[in-house]
Parts: sequence; C-alpha cells; structure tokens
Amino acid sequence: MRATYAALVREAATGDRDAMERLLMGAQEVAYRFSLFVCGHPEDAEDVMQDALLKTYQHVSRITEPEAFRTWLYTTVRHACLMKRRRRVGEPSHLISIEQGIPSHDGTATPVDVVDDARPVDQRMSDASVDARVRQALQKVPPSSRAIVVMREMEGLSTREVAAITGISEANVKTRLHRARVMLRLQLERV
Amino acid sequence: MTGPASPDCAAILASISAYLDGELEVAECAAIERHCAGCPRCGTLVEGLRHTIGLCRDVGTAPLPEPVRERARASMRRLLDADERAPSD
Repeated sequence: MRATYAALVREAATGDRDAMERLLMGAQEVAYRFSLFVCGHPEDAEDVMQDALLKTYQHVSRITEPEAFRTWLYTTVRHACLMKRRRRVGEPSHLISIEQGIPSHDGTATPVDVVDDARPVDQRMSDASVDARVRQALQKVPPSSRAIVVMREMEGLSTREVAAITGISEANVKTRLHRARVMLRLQLERV
Repeated sequence: MTGPASPDCAAILASISAYLDGELEVAECAAIERHCAGCPRCGTLVEGLRHTIGLCRDVGTAPLPEPVRERARASMRRLLDADERAPSD
C-alpha cells in the first residue's frame, strides 16, 4: 500500500480529483480502523476519521516526500487517538500485573501488565464474531503495545515504519510485539 | 501460562516471533521445528501464536461497515465540493 499511497499523493497534488478521493477514503479507513482497534470506541473512531480527512486534505499539497505519506498518516492518526484517549473518562487508568511472565532472551520471565477489566459499555457486546473477539481481546493489551499490534499485524506496516511512528527502537517494537502477541493469544482463548 | 519448562524452551520462546515473522535462518527454523515436534507445550504455543496473527490479519483486511464508509464518502465529497466552489485568488 505504501507505493499506492505515494502514487495517489503525487496524482492528487496535481489536482486529480479521482486520486484525491481515493487517497482521502484510504486515509479515513486507516483512521477508523486504527482508532477502533486501539481505543475501542466507535464514536471516537468517527471523530478521528474526520480529523484524518481534514489533515490529509490540507497536507497533500505540501508533501515533498510522497513515500513518507504513510508514516505521516499513522503518526497523525496515532496522535489523534492519544488525544481522544486522554479525554476519555472511562479509559482504564491503571494496570494490573499478572504473575506469569513472558520469556525474555536471557530465559527469565518478564511480568506482563494487562489492563484491568473496566470495559466501556459499547465493548460489552454479545457479538461473537471474530472481529468483536479480536477487538475485545485487544482492549486487554496495554495501549502502547496495542497500537504496535494494530500497525504490524492489521495494517501491515514494517517494523521500521512502526519504529518511526512511535519513536522507539526497532528492537523495542519487536519486543513489545512479541509480548502483545502472547497476551492477545491468552485473551482470545478467554473471550 | 507459566514460565519456561527448560532452557531449550526458553531459547525457543524468545525466538518465536522472529520465527513467525520469517526473520530467522533456515537452520534456526529447523531447530525450532525439531524442538516443537518433541515438545507439545512449545508446539501448541507456536500454533496458537500463528493462529492469533492470522486472526489479526483477517480482521485488518475486513472492509469498514457500509454505513461508516458512506459517512466517510459524504464528508469527503462535502469537503471537496466546498473547496471547488471557493473562489480562488
């Protein structure tokens, strides 16, 4: 998709309406999915989607590196989600630690933090679809690791792209991804 | 999940994500596969993680709900149409 975005950005910047529409729809889809999976609130996801629409539209004419658009988009969307999350009263504000650890490279067990069970009402759905199960399980993964899972597994970004977006090292991205995968597996067995 | 059952298990577990992401050499992959063939605990974990990753990828490629797409399309058209109507100087 990175090559597609870069091509769309170039075409949209020249005034091609069709390319602009495809770019803006793509940006909104990314924003909605990312926000829904990371924050878990459909109404916030629509706000973040709207924000991505406006920012992408304003940004396109100023882009000098179309290849960097995807990184810019996820950085922008992630920031919007962080702002939303801070404003959320219902967001779990503390972590509880489980005794079981995730094996580290040195063979020791690292404690895992799992968000406690203060789920918002719209997450307590009886929908047993895979989508709902994954979303429900994701909410138990700490937010910073959750965003990494969403970008790597669901959005198909590379480790390098995720490192650039989150401002952490590639090694750290890999470590958090591994821990999050294990937590997600445990949660999927429960939901 | 409890801690690693053996030093071999610990070494394998630490490499699982790299293995699943195709980042290991052929010999390293073979070592993990040999270990998992004889260790149900690690074999189950590898398969469980592979399944989890597959689920995430399936969910990630699912289209947005049509009402959401429709609202996204309408917002976009309002924005573009308003900009086209705006006088340019």
